[in-house]
Amino acid sequence: MSSSQPGDAAAFRVGDRLTGQEPWEVFGERIRRYEIHLNGDKIEMTRGPIALEGYGIRVFRKRDNVTGIGYQASNDFSDEGIRAAAEDAQRAARYASFPTGRFDLPSGHGATGGIVEVLDRGLWEYPMDSLDAYVAALRAAFEGRKQTAVSFGSVRATLSETSICNSSGLRTGYGHTTVDLEFAVKAFGGAEGPAPGEYWVNDSDRRLQPKQLAGRVDEWARYAEDVRRGRPPPTGEMAVVLPPTVLAGILPIVFGGRFTGSARLQQVAPEPGTKLGTDLATVYDDGRIPWAPMSAPIDDEGFPQSRRTLLDHGAVSDILYDSLHAGAFDTRSTGNGFRGMSFGFRSWFRFLQPPALSPSTIALSPGGGGTDAELLETAGDGILIQQIGWSSPDPLTGAFGGEIRLGYRIQNGKLAESIRGGTVGGIAFASEGAPSLMTRLEAVGSTAAFSEPVSSPPVLVRPLAVGGV
Amino acid sequence: MGELSDAEGQLYHTLARLAQRGPFVEVMAQGATGLSVRFDGHSTTFQSPPRLRGAVFRVWTRGGWSEASVSGLDEASLRFVEGAIERLLTRRPAHDSPPGASSTARIEKFTPTTRPMRDMGEEEMSAMAHDMFSWTEGVPDIRQTQVVVGWREEERLYINSAGARCLQGITRVRGSVQPVAMENGRLESDYFIHGGVGGREVLDGVTPEKARQAAECAREMLHAKTPPAGKRTVLLSPSVTGYFAHESFGHGAEADQFVRDRSYLKPILGQVVGPEMLTIVDNGASPGAWSEIYCDDEGHPAQRTVLVDHGRFVGALHDRDTAAALGAVPTGNSRRSDFLSRSFVRMTNTYVEPGDRSFQELVKEARDGVLLEAGVAGIEDPQGGQIQIKARRGHLIQNGEVTELVSSMALSGQVLEFLASIRGVSGKEDFQLDTGSCGKGRTDFLPNSAGGTYLLGTAVVGQA
Repeated sequence: MSSSQPGDAAAFRVGDRLTGQEPWEVFGERIRRYEIHLNGDKIEMTRGPIALEGYGIRVFRKRDNVTGIGYQASNDFSDEGIRAAAEDAQRAARYASFPTGRFDLPSGHGATGGIVEVLDRGLWEYPMDSLDAYVAALRAAFEGRKQTAVSFGSVRATLSETSICNSSGLRTGYGHTTVDLEFAVKAFGGAEGPAPGEYWVNDSDRRLQPKQLAGRVDEWARYAEDVRRGRPPPTGEMAVVLPPTVLAGILPIVFGGRFTGSARLQQVAPEPGTKLGTDLATVYDDGRIPWAPMSAPIDDEGFPQSRRTLLDHGAVSDILYDSLHAGAFDTRSTGNGFRGMSFGFRSWFRFLQPPALSPSTIALSPGGGGTDAELLETAGDGILIQQIGWSSPDPLTGAFGGEIRLGYRIQNGKLAESIRGGTVGGIAFASEGAPSLMTRLEAVGSTAAFSEPVSSPPVLVRPLAVGGV
Repeated sequence: MGELSDAEGQLYHTLARLAQRGPFVEVMAQGATGLSVRFDGHSTTFQSPPRLRGAVFRVWTRGGWSEASVSGLDEASLRFVEGAIERLLTRRPAHDSPPGASSTARIEKFTPTTRPMRDMGEEEMSAMAHDMFSWTEGVPDIRQTQVVVGWREEERLYINSAGARCLQGITRVRGSVQPVAMENGRLESDYFIHGGVGGREVLDGVTPEKARQAAECAREMLHAKTPPAGKRTVLLSPSVTGYFAHESFGHGAEADQFVRDRSYLKPILGQVVGPEMLTIVDNGASPGAWSEIYCDDEGHPAQRTVLVDHGRFVGALHDRDTAAALGAVPTGNSRRSDFLSRSFVRMTNTYVEPGDRSFQELVKEARDGVLLEAGVAGIEDPQGGQIQIKARRGHLIQNGEVTELVSSMALSGQVLEFLASIRGVSGKEDFQLDTGSCGKGRTDFLPNSAGGTYLLGTAVVGQA
């Protein structure tokens, strides 16, 4: 796939043909996707190109102090197709209603949000060859392993050209790549060993990084063997260490549920200054971290992405806005209007949905807890959770929890035997003064690591409820 | 309906040309229409399915399947995908035929209804949503309520080079009410969802009583206690039983996991795995159920497949590949999320069939334990045989009585151990089939439903 000519971008082709007086916005995407699916070490299926080009038209109809918003997406670029989509949006806008009489759409031409690194140039130019090479490197990394293998898996690469234009004169866009890895790594065999066990790898990145595979496969293989040998934990309240891989399944959804203009509109957002966590809890929303899946120069309305402080030493600071909610509260968009969000993760195509308020990358500020080993020493006795089956956080109540897919006992400040099974859970943040993960943060590690869509050090929480034998 | 009729001729032409290049080719084309409205007391939002049509072509190539998709069914789009498929055939030319028999079915079916949803316009749907919103007004402590009502009419056309032609149009209708209660900064919510395949009659099941009940539940949750942790006697409500059926013998019996040698169930097919009272089925042909389909995306008719028959594990769910590999027949369970996604072996409507005990008998038998209510999520481990189920709330059972309300919790355990612990299943008066969606891994979500009646067993639970 080669990059299209600027005037040929999906949104511009539609925007140039829209008529009417009402404010409008067009979000366009031209996407090629390539996939390789594995069954064991064999290629089960090759897919691609999966070609998708489309647009979404949003229209705004002001009536007194409210605005009717209508949206329709389409992949029909004919005059008739554009007219039909616009009419759908206009009809919906007549009956819809949002409580603001003012909103500001962004303007400007070109790279309006500056540059953020989100495009793997090699993958962009040679998608199928790059994917083939990556899968070959993956298979090579498993070669010779007698007791570990891929059960199944897939590598999916998406190449997207995003374009946005609106009636305020915005004409912008950018290219970006995304790579999704999904594997089950199985440990098996050995004389009278335990039953086979699997470690699940779910990862999203902006780049194919085959050189990292050898080291990562070593780690996955060790985890799979530990799953296999794991036993349920004891029951009780105890010190729990949570690495970024676990926080990634909790924090984006609970912050997205409460720290937004939509929560404020529903009167469920926390008041600024409310103390919801210990002094160790400083949390940002950062949409410009290089190579992060949620990063981009602009959000899906065309506003530059930025970095906002959500919790400052445990106290509520900013909340996040898109254009409409900013209008409702007479403030400015923070660049958090995103499309295609589901369960805290982002779909590979976005034009089918209108923008909705969401965090980008949630970043927990490193603390003074030191290295991983020092954090374990501070914990003394407890457990470390490496993977939860699904922590299924509730965006309103903040409740989270699930089955421990892999964990380790911590005994005398050192990692001991592995844990498989049992439950861990709690409340991510609760009302002021009530116990929660944020108020029970005892230590925060000194080095942050990235685990989509979170950047965080490991944290020590004391206590959390564990259900086991 | 008729979303795809104008493109069928061109799809056949493309199929015929590609059929000359390889041993087998099939295409699934898709289009949809519909409308949904969401009202939360502050804003009203409408959304209709995108004006998006497209097709996926699958061909048998050397060593496996290859496929390409394109959005758009116009001549240029189909020429593009034809070129992509030709390149795949050149890259990996086939020297044999695909596994199993190709469907030759000829099916044409659309959702029957005398009250089609497409007769309702924006104004009428908006009025319905506002009416539903009013049902929770007046309940103390309810801070907000979100109402969604909508329908989606989806048409799929499957044709292949063996002569199959399956055209199906399915209309799914759903209404939901989610009240949120707040007191002293603590938030709790509950929700009521009702849906199915049909027309406006499906929404007759969305009633003021059920909406108010959800609001009262949300309010009571403000004072719910923390649930117990550890191994307990558990009584699963019908929706939680549904998650058990779905996660245990639903995902566990998807035969692609057998072929990948990653199902703990594979070696015990044919064996007794649970008590005589336990029967679990998957039924894509269940009329009006949320995940009813008329045929799958390989052109095989939907059917009722018994997975566990009175405690004996007797069957699995198959597509053509797994059926060929394991000496079985396709069960109509090969499904794609959409034309952009690959097919997998997937469930449809999966449930535990009713037993013969009453709810009160099961509570008495439990004596001390916990009643898990309102399932919200689940996850399975086909390799290790573990399941996780999350319930939104529950009640303690003390001295054979249902007592205090407890907040959300997770159940965790080995499926086979849980099966061995099952002591009773309640009767058909409690049967409930929920609406939901299910992914394969983290992607490929599609409509799914699960259900059953009350089920008594033993498992590990904890706060979640």
